[in-house]
Amino acid sequence: MNAYYGIYGGQFVPETLMRALRELEDAFVQFKKNKESKRKFQYYLKNYAGRPTPLYLAENFSNYVGAQVYLKREDLLHTGAHKLNNTLGQILLAKFMGKKRIIAETGAGQHGVATATAAALLNMECVVYMGKKDMERQAPNVDRMKLLGANVVCVEKGSMTLKSAINEALRDWVKNVQTTHYLIGSAVGPYPFPEIVKYFQSVIGKEAKKQIMEQNGKLPDSVVACVGGGSNAIGIFSGFVKYKDVELIGVEAGGESLELGKHSATLTMGRPGILHGALSYLLQDEYGQVANVHSVSAGLDYPSVGPEHSYLKDNGRVKYDVCFDNEALDAFKLLSKMEGIIPALESSHAIGYVVEHKDRFKNRVVIVNLSGRGDKDLGIVKQIRG
Amino acid sequence: MCKVGIYLVCDYLNRDGFLKAVEICNRYKIDFLEIGFPFSDPVADGPVIEKAALDVLKRENTGDFFKSLKSAREIFKGRLYVMTYANVIFGYGSEKFAKEAQMVDGMIIADLPLTESGKFKRIFDRYNINLIHFATPESSYEDIDKVKKISKDFIYFVSTRGITGGSFSLDQETADKINYARNNFNKDVILGFGIRSKDDIHKACKTADGVVIGTEAIRAIEENRFENFIKSLRQ
Repeated sequence: MNAYYGIYGGQFVPETLMRALRELEDAFVQFKKNKESKRKFQYYLKNYAGRPTPLYLAENFSNYVGAQVYLKREDLLHTGAHKLNNTLGQILLAKFMGKKRIIAETGAGQHGVATATAAALLNMECVVYMGKKDMERQAPNVDRMKLLGANVVCVEKGSMTLKSAINEALRDWVKNVQTTHYLIGSAVGPYPFPEIVKYFQSVIGKEAKKQIMEQNGKLPDSVVACVGGGSNAIGIFSGFVKYKDVELIGVEAGGESLELGKHSATLTMGRPGILHGALSYLLQDEYGQVANVHSVSAGLDYPSVGPEHSYLKDNGRVKYDVCFDNEALDAFKLLSKMEGIIPALESSHAIGYVVEHKDRFKNRVVIVNLSGRGDKDLGIVKQIRG
Repeated sequence: MCKVGIYLVCDYLNRDGFLKAVEICNRYKIDFLEIGFPFSDPVADGPVIEKAALDVLKRENTGDFFKSLKSAREIFKGRLYVMTYANVIFGYGSEKFAKEAQMVDGMIIADLPLTESGKFKRIFDRYNINLIHFATPESSYEDIDKVKKISKDFIYFVSTRGITGGSFSLDQETADKINYARNNFNKDVILGFGIRSKDDIHKACKTADGVVIGTEAIRAIEENRFENFIKSLRQ
């Protein structure tokens, strides 16, 4: 397989991990061909996770913005976010490879919870690395992971957020590479991880395309998704990327402002760099040191982005833009009141973008990927907004 | 004679202390030095080196590191390498970095495996800087063949699966791979990761051409016993 998306991607890892990446790539190829593996994955998606998730025409919200807005309800997936698609898939893949132990990083805790859930279901030992700052702002998810039997390791180094958690998970993996599968939660990291995550998340795009054809009779004008590492976005975009008339919009976290250190808008404000195994857009200083980033949403608080998004930005297929903290917080409340749906702060960025740009969406058919639900965010929203 | 190399984090604890350590290494005839250019996210390093790197980054940047490197080159007579991470080079501008690094013998890039090294190698070749390649307990014999073929300088053999600052031991399979790397290879095979004492050196040198010590050297600097530590290795 080609490890690159245009100039982006690759395998920038210590040499010790190269054999594991080769084995993973081989196993992934076999896994995709294996009927029994595919059947199991489909079985768990349907009967355990609750797929297909609905595509819901949000009428009140549509009237408010003057467009026809459909929400892809990944918030209704078991554990409350799209993350479970990937963790079920990768744990089946890890079992297929004979691994006994799963490690993962988590930012908002949604990937950690989804990993702990799939590990409990499929009986794997599970360790989740989480930054101290994230453990504080996403405390309910920490309790959930523990209840599910995962060992949650608090990372008190570096930025103490998602980036530090990935550093620590990579260190664990180098040490325990013979027994352990590193279950990366987003479409980031060294190849073949971005490809694996896209494969398991592409179910979102496949369903959404089928559902919009059933409900609307034609493809949408626009598909909007939030982008941190970019797994929910790459999942839903994958269903539409070949239809050039469908506008694809990735919404990054504009944070407090677009001054370096106050946002996580990697594609909008960064430049190419190498972090966590891949060449991709990166928020960095002039010397190549990774910048501090900020977002009110722990799941978007990451200085890099999946390499395929960098490729899709450069070739112009996807437009990337930002939604600021306050806009996302407004959208969080708006959708809750208007539709009775509490969106995750991550997904609130996609909603907020549509609200802020409602003029350009006027009379258009728009799908927003509602990647997760916002119960986990009540604490942080209350703290900021009272 | 088994070679001993020391890894120092550039400008740690501070510039004067760093250059003093370089002078001590020169005085006790340390064979080679690896100067670590700090990176914000050093995933191959354990807590001791990470902490030192982040401490330096609070007050310095790559421009400062090159100034110190130049002084180190004037002080130290043995072979000199820079060890860092890919983005410290790429994010600075690979060509610009290579140009400024011309004074060193080689570059060691912790997150650059052989398969990704081509683009970097082409640039460093133009400036006569050797790119150091790794072998590990995870390497196949075929991988080791490739590394032997491409290496113009020593092979950095990572002794163990893990990060810097662990403990030293070699299983038979790894020892076999080190022997295989040395066989019909006219440069050195240097062992790194986990080596911290005269005793470890003695054990490692039964199999390899030399060792490099990092974490323990940083600890010795922090505890103000660097000269004694270097002396102990040379006795």
